[in-house]
Amino acid sequence: MIKVNIDGQEITLEKPMTILAAAQRAGIKIPTLCYDKQLEPFGGCRLCLVEIERVPKLMASCTVNVTDGMVVRTQTEKVKKARKAQLEFLLINHPLDCPVCDKAGECDLQDLVAQYGAHEGRFLEGKRKHPESFRDPIIVRNMERCITCTRCVRMCDGVQGAFAITVTGRGNHSFVEPFTGGEYKCEYCGNCLTVCPVGAIMSKLHRHSYRPWYVEKEIKTICGFCAVGCTLIAQTRGKDIIRTMPKHGLGINDGILCVRGRFGYDYRSGEGRITTPLIRKDSGELEPASWETAIDYAARRLADIKERHGVASIGGIGSGRCTNEDNYMLQKLIRYVIGSNNMDSSARFAFAPAQKYLERMFGQGVTANLIPGIANADGVIVFGGDPTAINPILGVQCRIARRKGAKVIVIGAPAGLKGFVDYKLEPVVGCEEVVLRAIVKGVVDKKGLSGENAYIENKIKKLMSPDDETIERVGVAVADIAKAVDNILKMKSPVVVIGPEAVHTSSASLNLFLLGVINYVLNGRIFLLSEKANYQGLLDMGCAPDVVPGGRPIELDIIEHKFQDLLGSKTPEEHGMNLYEMIDAAKNGKLKALYVMGDNPLFNYPDREHIEDAFNKIDFLIVQDISLNDTVKMADVVFPANSWLEKDGTFINLGRSLQRLRKALSMDGCWDDWKIVAEVAKKLGMKKSYESSKDVWEEIRKVSPLYRDVDYVGLDEQALTWPYMGEPIRGLEGDFKVEGLEQVLGNVAKGSDGFMGLTNPVLMLERPLFHSGSMSGMSKALLSIYGAPYFKISKTLALRYGFKEGDKVRVIMEKGEIDASAQIDVNMQDGVVYLSNIFEGVGYMGVVGYKVDAVVGSLVITNNNIVDIVRVED
Amino acid sequence: MENNNVKTIRDFIEREKKSYASIESTVIPALHEAEGVYGWISPEAIEDISNYTGVSKAKIKGTATFYAMYKNKPMGRHLIQLCTNVVCMVMGSESLLSLLNERYELEPGGMTSDGRFSLVIMECIGACGTAPAMLVDADYYDNLNEKNIFEILDKYQ
Ligand code: SF4
Ligand code: SF4
Ligand code: SF4
Ligand code: FES
Repeated sequence: MIKVNIDGQEITLEKPMTILAAAQRAGIKIPTLCYDKQLEPFGGCRLCLVEIERVPKLMASCTVNVTDGMVVRTQTEKVKKARKAQLEFLLINHPLDCPVCDKAGECDLQDLVAQYGAHEGRFLEGKRKHPESFRDPIIVRNMERCITCTRCVRMCDGVQGAFAITVTGRGNHSFVEPFTGGEYKCEYCGNCLTVCPVGAIMSKLHRHSYRPWYVEKEIKTICGFCAVGCTLIAQTRGKDIIRTMPKHGLGINDGILCVRGRFGYDYRSGEGRITTPLIRKDSGELEPASWETAIDYAARRLADIKERHGVASIGGIGSGRCTNEDNYMLQKLIRYVIGSNNMDSSARFAFAPAQKYLERMFGQGVTANLIPGIANADGVIVFGGDPTAINPILGVQCRIARRKGAKVIVIGAPAGLKGFVDYKLEPVVGCEEVVLRAIVKGVVDKKGLSGENAYIENKIKKLMSPDDETIERVGVAVADIAKAVDNILKMKSPVVVIGPEAVHTSSASLNLFLLGVINYVLNGRIFLLSEKANYQGLLDMGCAPDVVPGGRPIELDIIEHKFQDLLGSKTPEEHGMNLYEMIDAAKNGKLKALYVMGDNPLFNYPDREHIEDAFNKIDFLIVQDISLNDTVKMADVVFPANSWLEKDGTFINLGRSLQRLRKALSMDGCWDDWKIVAEVAKKLGMKKSYESSKDVWEEIRKVSPLYRDVDYVGLDEQALTWPYMGEPIRGLEGDFKVEGLEQVLGNVAKGSDGFMGLTNPVLMLERPLFHSGSMSGMSKALLSIYGAPYFKISKTLALRYGFKEGDKVRVIMEKGEIDASAQIDVNMQDGVVYLSNIFEGVGYMGVVGYKVDAVVGSLVITNNNIVDIVRVED
Repeated sequence: MENNNVKTIRDFIEREKKSYASIESTVIPALHEAEGVYGWISPEAIEDISNYTGVSKAKIKGTATFYAMYKNKPMGRHLIQLCTNVVCMVMGSESLLSLLNERYELEPGGMTSDGRFSLVIMECIGACGTAPAMLVDADYYDNLNEKNIFEILDKYQ
C-alpha cells in the first residue's frame, strides 16, 4: 500500500505508478506534452513539473514514481512559473503560424500557451527555418513546428515497429527526419501524426480544408480493409468523411491503425463507383434503371430459370467485404427462398478450408483467439504470409511480442518482420515444407508426445524428416533449424500465425498438419490470416454449401428441421455446389443463374480465360457491387451497394470476435446489400420484411442458438468472441487426412520440375501493405503510395533477363502475358517474381491456373512457372 | 556481393561487439570506423552498420548527427581545422579564413569543388602561445601567417 498526498488529497495506491498516473487517477490535471498513454515515458518536455516536499528541484511527474508518504504539489506558483518558462523556450523556435496550421483547435501547445500565457516571449533571435516537406504521398512535414517531444519516434519505434524516423541533430537544431532525410518511404501508418501534439506531421488528405470544429459527427465503426477488425472513429461533415482516427483504449487496435484504415477512406468516392441500378438491354448495353424495375426484373428472371431448369441451376456467391446481415440474407434467398444449397464465396480458396481442416484436428473454435493477446505471447511462429502486410495490426502485435521478449520465427521471407527474427529460415520458394518438417520433427523428438490425441500422434510418428543435405539444398542452414527447435521448445504460450500461402500449394494438408502439431505439442494459439474483413462471418452465416447459419453442419438441420419451424421453409436436401463446382457447372451449362454479391470473380479468381468462359455461359448474372468492375461489366443486372463506411451491421474478425459496424454516411443511390437481396427475395415470395440490419440480426439470433444472447445494444458496448455466450455446435470429430507425411519434397517434385529457383522462376502473388484488394485500389490516397502495378524481382534475375529498375517488361506465362514495370528488390530470392492483384488489367490471378487440393480443398495455384521475361519499349 | 568497405565494417563490429554488453553499444565505435572507411558517415556507412548491428538506420543517423565531431557530410581529401577562438582570432585567424575563401572558395563547414580540402572551424587546440594555429589532417601547425599557410597547404594535394 502506498499513500501519497497530491495537492492536499490523500491517495492510496495498490501498486507503484508515476506521480502523473496517480494524479490522473485522483482527477488532478497535470499538463503534459511529451507524455502519451500509449508510449514509453520520456520526460523531455518538462511541462509536467511538480513540487515534491523535501526534494529541492522540481520533478517531471511523468517519469517519477510515487513513494509512500510523498507530498506533491502540482499548482504552486513555482510550478506555474517553471511551466510558463518552459513554454517560452518552446516558442523561441515555434513559428506560431496557427492561422495556417491544420492542428489549430486540437493542438496541445496552443492550448497550454493559452492557459499559461507564455505568449510574451523575451527572445529576439530569429526563428529557425525549415521548408515544409511535401515529398511524401500522404504526409506533410513542417519541422519548424516540431517541439522534439519524440512522441512520433517512440510511436514508430516502440509501437509500430517500423523504425523509420529519428531525431536528428542536437539541441536547437534537432528535428525529426527519416534516414534518407527525404521521403519517409515507410509503412505510412500515420500513427506518428496521430500522436504528434502539434502540427509538425500532418495528413495531406484534408490539408487546409479541415478544422477540428468542422466535425459534425463522430461515428465509431469497424475498418473493412482486413479481418483484424480495427475500431476507428469516422469524422464527418455533410456528405464527406473528413478523416478516420484510432482512439486509445478502443478496440483491438487500441490507438493505432494501419495505412489502409487511417488513409484509405476516400475509396468511397473513388473512380468507378456505381450509384444506380443497371440492366442489360437487348442492345447488349448496360443501362440505368430504377430500383423497382431492376429488382422486378431480377426476380422474374430468377423465377423463370428456377422453373425451367430447377433449383440446382441457381447459385450465390457471398462476400468477405459484406456484413453478416448481408451474407445471411443472400444465403437465405438462395437456400430458403429459391431452395438451393449452391452457396459459397472466395473464402473457399484458403480461409474456409484451412479453418475446417484445423477444426478437424482440434475441434470448433480453434481459431477463436484474441489478437491483442499476441503481444503477450512468448513466441510467434509465422508461416505462409507476412502478417504485417496482410493483417497489419496483427503484424504489429507480433512485433510488440518480440519487443517484450518473445522469439519470432518466420519460415519463409521475413518481410515486415525482418529485424524481429534472429536467423533466417527462408528456403527456396516452394520448399517451405522441408523446413517446417525438420523443425516439427525436432520439436516432437525432444518434447515427446502426451498421448492426448491418437489421430494426431499416429500421424506424427510417420513423419519423415529431411536429411541435412536436403535442408542445405533448399537454402537453409542446419544450425539455424536447430536454433529454431531450441527456441520453440522454450515457448510456453506460442502463437502460430498461418498465412494463405500455406494452403495455396500442393503441400496444403502437410503444412496445416505440421503447424497444427506445433500448436498441439506446445498448447499454442492459432491465427489464420485473412485479407477480407468478414470471411469468418460469411462462413458463420451459412455462405457455404455444407453449413447453415450459426456454423451448423447442414446434415444436422436436414434431420432436425430447425430452420423449417423458424423460417417457414426447409433446408434443401440436395447437395450444394461449392465455388469450384459452380464455376465448372457454369462452364458445362448446368449453372444458369448466379447472384454475385461483393466479389469480382473475373479479376479475383485464377485462370481468367476459364472463368470468363464459365461466366459467358451463365444465362442470368446478377452482380451487386460498389464499383464498375470486370464482373459487373458482364452482368445482366447490376445493383449499386453501400460499402462498409455506409453500413450498419456486424463483422466477425479472424479471431472470431463479433463487432458492430455503424454507418458513417450514406451514399446517394446505393442500398445496403441485405436490403437489395431482401427485396429480390420478397418478389420471390419471402413473407418477412426488415426495416434495418438490426431486424436481420434479430432473425439470425433466432435461428442460431450461438447468437441467442447477443444483441446490437450489447455489441455497442463490447465486442464478443466465439462462442458468444451461446451454445457452440458439436464439432466435427474423427480422423483426418494428411498427404506427403512420408515423402520429403514429394509434393514439390510433383508440383514443378524439381527445386524451383534452379529452373524458371515462378510468379507469386504479392499481398502488399498498401492495398487489400480492388476496394483499396479505389482510394486515391492509397494509390498515391502504390499507384501502378510492378513486378518485384531480384537483382540477379533482372540481370539474367537483361533489364533494370523501372524498365517496362513483359512476363510471359502459359496462360497469358502481362506488362508492368520492374522493381528490383535486393532482399528477394532469385527464383520468384511478385505481382499484385490490385490493378485492373494487370492482375496476377488472370495469368495463373489452379487446381483444388484433394485433401484440404484449398485453391492450389498452377501454371505459375514463368516462360520468359522480355523488355518492351514504351 | 560484398565489397571491401562492407567487410571491414562487418569484421569491426564482429570484433567489437564482444567488448560490450549490448550490440547497440558498438554503434559509436562503428561510426568512427565507417568514417575512416567511407571518409564520412555516408548513407552506405549507416546501412552497413545497421545491417550488422540490427539497429535501425534512422536511429544510427540520429546518433551520428547528435555528435558534432562525426563527419556527417562528405569531406575533402584533407581536413583543415582552423582555430578561431579568442587568441587565434586576435592573432589574425579571421583574415586567414578570408584568404582561404579567396584562394580556394572554401567556407567553414564546406569543401573545395575539387574535393581537395574541407574546412572546419575549431575551438582552442591549446596553442595560444603560438597562435594562430591549425590542424591539417593529423598534423599540427602554428605561428601561421598569410604566407606560410599556403606553403603548408601546398604539401597537401
Ligand atoms: S507513418 Fe508510421 S511507419 Fe511511417 S514514420 Fe510515421 S509511424 Fe513510422
Ligand atoms: S514531429 Fe511532432 S511528435 Fe515528433 S517530435 Fe516533433 S512535435 Fe513531437
Ligand atoms: S486494414 Fe486491417 S489492420 Fe489495417 S486498420 Fe483496417 S482492420 Fe486494422
Ligand atoms: S510530460 Fe513529463 S516531461 Fe513531458
